[in-house]
Amino acid sequence: MIASCTLGEMMIAALTRTIQDGELVFHGFGSPLVQLAMHVAKRTHAPRMGLVAGATYGVDPAPRFLTPTSNDWAMDQGAAASLGIEELFDLAAAGRLGRMFLSGLQIDRWGNCNVTALGAPHMAMKLPGGGGGGNLSCDAQRVTLWTPAHRAEIDAKGRRRFRLVEACDFITNLGHRDAAGRPRKAYGHRGRGPQFLITELGLFDYEADGHMRLVALYPDTTIEDAQENTGFALRMADRVGVIAPPTRSVVDLIRKLDPLRVHEKEIRPLDLKRRFDLVEQREERA
Amino acid sequence: MTSPREIRTEPDKRRTLDELASMVPDGAVVAVGGGLSSREPMALLRALLRRGATGLTVVGSAHGIDVDLLCAGGALARSAESYVGFEQDFGLAPNYRRALESGAVEAADSCCYTLVQQLRAAIQGLPFMPIRSVRGTGFMTLHPEYRLMTCPFTGEELLLVPALEPDVALIHAQYGDEKGNLVIQGPPVADLLFARASKLVLATVEKIVTTQDVQGMPGAVLPYFYVAAICEAPMGAHPTACYPFYGYDRPHTALYHAAARAGAESFKSTYLDVFVHGAASHDAYLARIGGEATRARLASWANGDDAWMNLYRDEAPA
Repeated sequence: MIASCTLGEMMIAALTRTIQDGELVFHGFGSPLVQLAMHVAKRTHAPRMGLVAGATYGVDPAPRFLTPTSNDWAMDQGAAASLGIEELFDLAAAGRLGRMFLSGLQIDRWGNCNVTALGAPHMAMKLPGGGGGGNLSCDAQRVTLWTPAHRAEIDAKGRRRFRLVEACDFITNLGHRDAAGRPRKAYGHRGRGPQFLITELGLFDYEADGHMRLVALYPDTTIEDAQENTGFALRMADRVGVIAPPTRSVVDLIRKLDPLRVHEKEIRPLDLKRRFDLVEQREERA
Repeated sequence: MTSPREIRTEPDKRRTLDELASMVPDGAVVAVGGGLSSREPMALLRALLRRGATGLTVVGSAHGIDVDLLCAGGALARSAESYVGFEQDFGLAPNYRRALESGAVEAADSCCYTLVQQLRAAIQGLPFMPIRSVRGTGFMTLHPEYRLMTCPFTGEELLLVPALEPDVALIHAQYGDEKGNLVIQGPPVADLLFARASKLVLATVEKIVTTQDVQGMPGAVLPYFYVAAICEAPMGAHPTACYPFYGYDRPHTALYHAAARAGAESFKSTYLDVFVHGAASHDAYLARIGGEATRARLASWANGDDAWMNLYRDEAPA
């Protein structure tokens, strides 16, 4: 009998709840937490979601197990069809992609993400690049952002290096306002921009002006944790709630889908130790 | 208007790996096929480095060890990739980072769909394609060649991206015939677009088969007339996967990544001088990585889920 779950499993559950039944959903590469969230959603509250896997572009695959890299035939087992790279992006450009999951090494208050380079105007650190994020952040109807690295580490000079920043050094994925403060709406993009942000410290949504807002914490994190690890003044919901743990059957499903615990590669060592009690609940509801 | 790309009808396009490498001119814009840990034309890239290729621009969507190795080998002047990394498995690409942070290689990052639309323009012989996305991102300043326009039909603002016709596409496929028909099994990534848009298509395959064999095979077939030269290179995608022949060599990739993290000088002596310059031919490379034992280990994915998972359970070379 499973009595507790890990932070990774809590984050997967929170990501899962952002998926609506019947929408077409896509993930990028290097995103095991999201891969698992999508497979859990498909097998629980969203049986009619269209699941397109990143890297393989397989439609509704049933992976044998989660692989350490995304473009692996084991991820593509049982796919009903495979899209070409152009087909997935065409669907998004035509406004038919319901949800995309995006992340960044910097995420700012408006939900812009930087996956391109740190340091402006002179590059201090080259990041891997955002894949199709520059397109999909504009085109996908809804975006769920996530990062398992909200906590700002102290650098060699004793300064906090924020991941949640006032302004990104480079905007790879567009949020609710561009670098000049121009609102997203002015561009007439297909997509409505970031709807949620899930981190290892809390759950956030976006207010009408496009600014991030804290709406829920984990049982073991506080408002102070969230604020001191954020590079700007947090806005908060009137009532900050608590993120619900997954049901036992969902935890069991995650462990079956990811026997190699690939998703723990995304989680920092400190957070791997966190445990959360499971409570008796009815089936997951979105 | 550029002149049309050639239709290649030679009946026998078989060439050696070194001949393929010599067909890539210095300074060329190169589209590398495959993606992440799968079906990258690694044997051909190693031959390219042994040839001493320089000044190349790479274009593509999601890459890893292929572009990282080209950076280490001094072959690149510019990277217009959308992603270069080792995902969650090993993280950032160390040689790529060093080359771009030092300015040795120009960072001209792109995005997947921008690239797709630019290739489509070239495929159709058009000077540009429109997209809606990217406006509002940093790519607008990174790429001053993009143009904004007002749509004459709807009045909405669109972004025009110029045609991209790579000089060379390097593709590794499972099968091909002497004429150059290629059979790509599993996700084709951007390979078909690359092949249709590029001036010169050079292919390596796991196995050269007859045209009749090609006709009965599952997978996507790229017609011969796009392809200029073909070479049989078994395990030519190693250490990336080329299913159904072999899976991703995670222990070798771990060894590569550790060598790359240790610094440029040390990477040269512990990896480049051993596996690239120190293996004068593809056969010598295959011997260097463990020959038949390694091939059999990587082919064992087909023995069931447990065997498949075992390929990924640890990072120590078997």
